[in-house]
Amino acid sequence: MPFELKLALIAALVGFAMLAGVYWKAQTGRAKLVKSGELVDLVKLQATKNGQPVTKFGRKATVLQFSTEVCSQCKQTARLFSEVEKQHRDLLHIEVDVTNRLDLAAHFKVLQTPTTLVLDASGRVKARIGGAPKPATVKAELAKLEI
Amino acid sequence: MTKPTPAGIDPRGPRFGASITSVLLLIIVFLGLDAATVDAAFYLLIAVAALFAIGAIFGLSKHPYGIIFRKFVRPRLAAPTELEDPRPPKFAQAVGLFVASVGVVLHLAGVEFGVAYAAGAAFIAAFLNAAFAYCLGCQIYLGLKRIGLIGRS
Repeated sequence: MPFELKLALIAALVGFAMLAGVYWKAQTGRAKLVKSGELVDLVKLQATKNGQPVTKFGRKATVLQFSTEVCSQCKQTARLFSEVEKQHRDLLHIEVDVTNRLDLAAHFKVLQTPTTLVLDASGRVKARIGGAPKPATVKAELAKLEI
Repeated sequence: MTKPTPAGIDPRGPRFGASITSVLLLIIVFLGLDAATVDAAFYLLIAVAALFAIGAIFGLSKHPYGIIFRKFVRPRLAAPTELEDPRPPKFAQAVGLFVASVGVVLHLAGVEFGVAYAAGAAFIAAFLNAAFAYCLGCQIYLGLKRIGLIGRS
């Protein structure tokens, strides 16, 4: 194979990887509006928070975050939500590890983690965030629920 | 039952290693495109696969790049703002080992450009990890598990 062709193929590979990275960065962590979303069933969810079972939604909103053990961005996202939760008493952050809860992953069609569902006061899904959200995205979504 | 979370690692360590790996993989693609140099590419790919195996089995703290990072790079940097779970990069190393092994098998089976295909695919993942903090564990782990390709850990 001619040297120039090999170089061109290498350049194409690097260019493709860069484009893929820029595209991924642009679309990850964005919130999508969910129309007529489902009512989340806390009994089926069996989530715990600080060792206690979660039996109530947040007063105005709940962020339900799905994570796994091998997800480095899940921790960063959980930290972000915890900070926001500290500032707003009407918000509840629930994190569910779906590594061994494939039933939940299938039910909520979770393919990547973190995936976060934004729920209103009644526990109905209002928005869905695939990937790690930016603080501004979280703020904008919660503002829609008067937080 | 949930296992205790292992001790955290500096998140810059895996990205440092991924930078070296992506350069190596790019060289392998280049060498793998030519019949005259494909053997060198093949042996380099075996070496990269062996490195992935160390990361996948023992974790990145025991990996040569992890050791280099801790001894020579980390002391020159500011303290990390947060620590990362060692399991996500371990999973990524296992995926790398799988892809590199496919390249080795393709080459042994006589598939033309088998080494270059596999090294190219692994390069994309390593590059995205190094440059964009892309995390394979976040993106593909749950999907693979849901279709049953990986079992309970």
